[in-house]
Amino acid sequence: MPLLEARGVTKRFGGLIAVQNVDYCIEPHTINAIIGPNGAGKTTFFNLMTGIYTPDEGRIIFDGKDITGLKPNRINQAGIARTFQNIRLFGAMTVIENCLVGMHRRLHVDWVQAILRPPAFNRQEREAQRRVEELLDFVGLRDKANEVAKNLPYGDQRRLELARALASEPKLLLLDEPTAGMNPQETAAAMQLFRAVRDEFGITVLLIEHDMRVVMGISERVTVLDYGQKIAEGSPEEVRRNPRVIEAYLGRGSAASYI
Amino acid sequence: MATQSLLQERASRLNWREALPTIFAILYVLIVFSLLRSLNRADLWFPTYSSILFPLFVFSPFIIFALKIPFALRAVLIAIIGLVLMPILGMQDSFYLELITQIAIFAAMAIGLNVVVGFAGLLDLGYVAFFAVGAYLWGIFTSNANTIVRISGAQAAPELFWLFLFLGVIAAAITGILLGLPVLRLRGDYLAIVTLGFGEIIRILVSNLSNISSNRRNPINITNGAQGLPGILSPPLPDFMFQAVESLTNSLGLPVNNVRAFTYQLFYYGLVLIVCALSALIAARLDNSPIGRAWTAIREDEVAAQAMGVPKVKMKLLAFALGASFAGAMGVIFAARNTFVSPESFSFIQSIFILAVVIVGGMGSIRGAIFGAAIVTLLNLQVLKNFSLQINALRNIDWVVPIIDFPIRNWPQQLEPARYERLVFGLLLIVMMIFRPSGLLPAKRRQLELQGERAERISEKELTADVAEIRPEDLLSAPAAIGEAKEAKAANAADIAEDLPADQPPTPGEGLPDEPKEKP
Amino acid sequence: MTAVPNLASALSRSRLLNGAAEWFLQYFLKPIGQILLFAVIAGSSISLLALAVGFVLQTDWHGIDILRVPARINLFEQVVRQLPNMLLDGITIGFVYAVIALGYTMVYGVLKFINFAHSEIFMMGAVVGYEVMIRLRDGQLLSELPPLVVIILMIGAAMLVCGAAAVVVERVAYKPLRGAPRLVPLISAIGVSFFLTDFVRAFQALNRNIFNMPYPTDLVPFFGARINIAEGLSTTNTTLIIIISAIIMLVGLNYFVNATKIGKAIRAVSQDQATASLMGINVNLMITITFMVGGALGGAAGVLYGLKTTNVTPYIGFIPGLKAFTAAVLGGIGNITGAVLGGLLLGMLEAFFSALLPYFPALGLGYSDIFAFAVLILVLLFRPTGLLGKKVDEKV
Repeated sequence: MPLLEARGVTKRFGGLIAVQNVDYCIEPHTINAIIGPNGAGKTTFFNLMTGIYTPDEGRIIFDGKDITGLKPNRINQAGIARTFQNIRLFGAMTVIENCLVGMHRRLHVDWVQAILRPPAFNRQEREAQRRVEELLDFVGLRDKANEVAKNLPYGDQRRLELARALASEPKLLLLDEPTAGMNPQETAAAMQLFRAVRDEFGITVLLIEHDMRVVMGISERVTVLDYGQKIAEGSPEEVRRNPRVIEAYLGRGSAASYI
Repeated sequence: MATQSLLQERASRLNWREALPTIFAILYVLIVFSLLRSLNRADLWFPTYSSILFPLFVFSPFIIFALKIPFALRAVLIAIIGLVLMPILGMQDSFYLELITQIAIFAAMAIGLNVVVGFAGLLDLGYVAFFAVGAYLWGIFTSNANTIVRISGAQAAPELFWLFLFLGVIAAAITGILLGLPVLRLRGDYLAIVTLGFGEIIRILVSNLSNISSNRRNPINITNGAQGLPGILSPPLPDFMFQAVESLTNSLGLPVNNVRAFTYQLFYYGLVLIVCALSALIAARLDNSPIGRAWTAIREDEVAAQAMGVPKVKMKLLAFALGASFAGAMGVIFAARNTFVSPESFSFIQSIFILAVVIVGGMGSIRGAIFGAAIVTLLNLQVLKNFSLQINALRNIDWVVPIIDFPIRNWPQQLEPARYERLVFGLLLIVMMIFRPSGLLPAKRRQLELQGERAERISEKELTADVAEIRPEDLLSAPAAIGEAKEAKAANAADIAEDLPADQPPTPGEGLPDEPKEKP
Repeated sequence: MTAVPNLASALSRSRLLNGAAEWFLQYFLKPIGQILLFAVIAGSSISLLALAVGFVLQTDWHGIDILRVPARINLFEQVVRQLPNMLLDGITIGFVYAVIALGYTMVYGVLKFINFAHSEIFMMGAVVGYEVMIRLRDGQLLSELPPLVVIILMIGAAMLVCGAAAVVVERVAYKPLRGAPRLVPLISAIGVSFFLTDFVRAFQALNRNIFNMPYPTDLVPFFGARINIAEGLSTTNTTLIIIISAIIMLVGLNYFVNATKIGKAIRAVSQDQATASLMGINVNLMITITFMVGGALGGAAGVLYGLKTTNVTPYIGFIPGLKAFTAAVLGGIGNITGAVLGGLLLGMLEAFFSALLPYFPALGLGYSDIFAFAVLILVLLFRPTGLLGKKVDEKV
């Protein structure tokens, strides 16, 4: 059974159809990529899966449960976490607090307990902090745990976003252009990290990526969107040879100047 | 074992040099206190002296709190100031007790507003409405005005004060949720304006709900309208308290004229201190909990917070309800203490007053809220008022300002400093926003204890270098990065262009969009 | 209303059509036509509302006691009788609100920030008008000079002082905060608003030792002279002066924003500051000019408001300011056309409530300000972009 299944998902903005009748499946424990030229509807598709937008048509089934039209926090609770294309950290909070927010849905949140502080509350806080420290170890931010997020260098901010998403213990992790703006060394390290996310935590990964080295390097299944429609799907090799993909990227005149 | 030896080592190192600030602080408190004790109300310059000395005295707990000595010691010293010195001053002049009670009332409200504005980032310009809910709840049920409650004989017994204190909290929290529900989608300045509108609507309702019947001979009076509610009751106090206060004041050689009134003043002083301390404790604990983190996350980035599983609606409503509840409790106490409430006590300027307290202290900072309450309340109720009193006193003896030879009787009657609170709040808000937007005692980010060491701060230079560096190969492989780089360059260029001298005439013809947005 | 397009098409067909005529059509006839159209829209919608309310509530509503009118009053008849005066009142105050609203909307358009202090700039205009009038009176000139000259002097002085004051406020209290989080300049603006209230109060206390500043309009018989418009409908010259000056200012602003270089530059800045500055536009200068123009209009509106109500205090700014802001939001904030429509609608609504509320024993005039706040809240909640605004989505 697929972990996530989108059936005929469509999203319009006024006259523009950003995502059109897309069927999409993700198998558990895989690394998947969505690629496509700028404006192909990739991020919109992410926003549909995470509840930031509601699809106009179609359904999204996650883990056997219909999550279409649920609020973003409900979808996070169901087990989908994400990062953002233009990093959206909680700038004034420290690294560790950012991750603790990510853990919000895994904690028992009760204002009476927060005021009265029974032992169970303190135990939970300590436990949460311990888990966050492990996560920070994993992404390599342990020594910056008390740094304020907005003061972090760019690469660390990306890592923190990843740690924050992992803190919510998702089954599916959506990464929106996670290596944008990184140099080759940083990109290689990030790829290692994404693989480890799958191998060590058993989390299914879906990424939007422009960097073909990343896409071809780690993903097992690649989906190509163009003008909001799915034009190809398959292993990296298959997609690379697909004539429609080549046309989408290289054809149609002016697009050729990119590569 | 290790910690014990560490403690011993620290204790042995605590020599006279480290004790010096403490000694100075204690000396400071004692000097200010005895100077205040020595003031004579009949003195011509009494208003000026007292409005200098009393603020100095009020700041003493903050000075003690800032000392680097064990918490227990600080707590004992502050308790002595608050529970011994302050009441003694009150016996001498009950106005001091009144002032400090007002400070505590505003501090508690500022803490409540801090939950909404500071923690959750929701600027509420109608906060005083919740205060009004509490005040009118107790007022309507015990006032001697001809309200529907009195006519129908449903008045509350004064013993029910404690129940109503609780009900006031509940009622204000419900009002908070009711006002919060529709504004959930709004952010920033629009939210501020809508809450302002709600606050004003509540004020207008309160000043007009004196007749809601079409029959003029049989009006249904709920709030007694603009005249306000007089004769609001206080809770009964046990007799032994009056006796204890009387014997205490007599034994200290400071007998008070009206033991009953003074006992009530002491009672309200203690009550607001307790409520204020409770508010501070509740707010601090909430801030340092998953709830507080969720609020901060919503404040910082609503979309990301939701995507991380923070339930926005629930958390915002919780902030509104909790913030409102503090004001509701204080409203009940305020009505009972003041024995009179009127719509004027709940106008827009009161909301701004509380906002000014929060801003002066520092948004999101609980210490700041208390400190800000002290500063702003003293400025408003003591410094400005005493300035007026001083001028009147000098006018009575026809005093002439030396050097500039200005006869004080020529001071315009209309220029009464006590009425210029707007000038002071306005200036405070502007100056704070320009020079210290995070307040005098800004909120600190909690540093969590980690086993590892704290990394040193990255320098500004390193940071900018890291962001600005975009390598050519990245540009090739990532079209998105090109956009980013272009944007960054454009922003840079824009900054530079903005800094250019202004003598260049604008050349609008070239850069204009073809379709003008506005066409009246 | 059809007269204007007909005239326009007639003009365009005319052989005399040349540059001047086109200019006249574009920047004079068209805006005036639009303003009149808005007045007619606002007036007819409020008339319909008033008639409907009067009709529905004339029958006794036993269910809702609050809405009951005393038995001897026929509400519908009263509404019909009062309608012409109500419309005239609504148009007068509506134009004043529209002129104030322009200040809010222009600043919001350029800086995306609510200039909370604009209400006090407006109040200062009223105070300056008072000062000019009093000084003219003391110099025995008030009854000597032609009334129109008096008006022009008052409005001119108010525009100068308030334009300058708005620029000073911007320099001192807003400019240092550019780029700060959005709430920071808003709080500063609230501070400025409070400060200016008491600053003017202190100024007049030192200057004349007064708080209330009644306009000595009774010394100029012209202001109070009544003109009959129709049977049973008469008005004062003051009302006409207010309407005509407001229309002149609206048309003038339209010309300034759409036809002059500076106006175009301001529009460019409101679209995209960075790009505008790259095109050689001095963004800071344009922001200053925006504040100056908005402040000058606010000041002029203050004089008009003072002429209408004749009693001015340093505290009059808040409520009209909030109503004008409501008007700006109602029309679509940032949109100049919208501010005019919003102002007229709001003025009409106010006249409607002031005319109707006294008939309800359970309500009364005390509630008349609630409507403005209610409109403000409803618009912000359900259509924050206003009647003529565009929807903007946040990019994720």
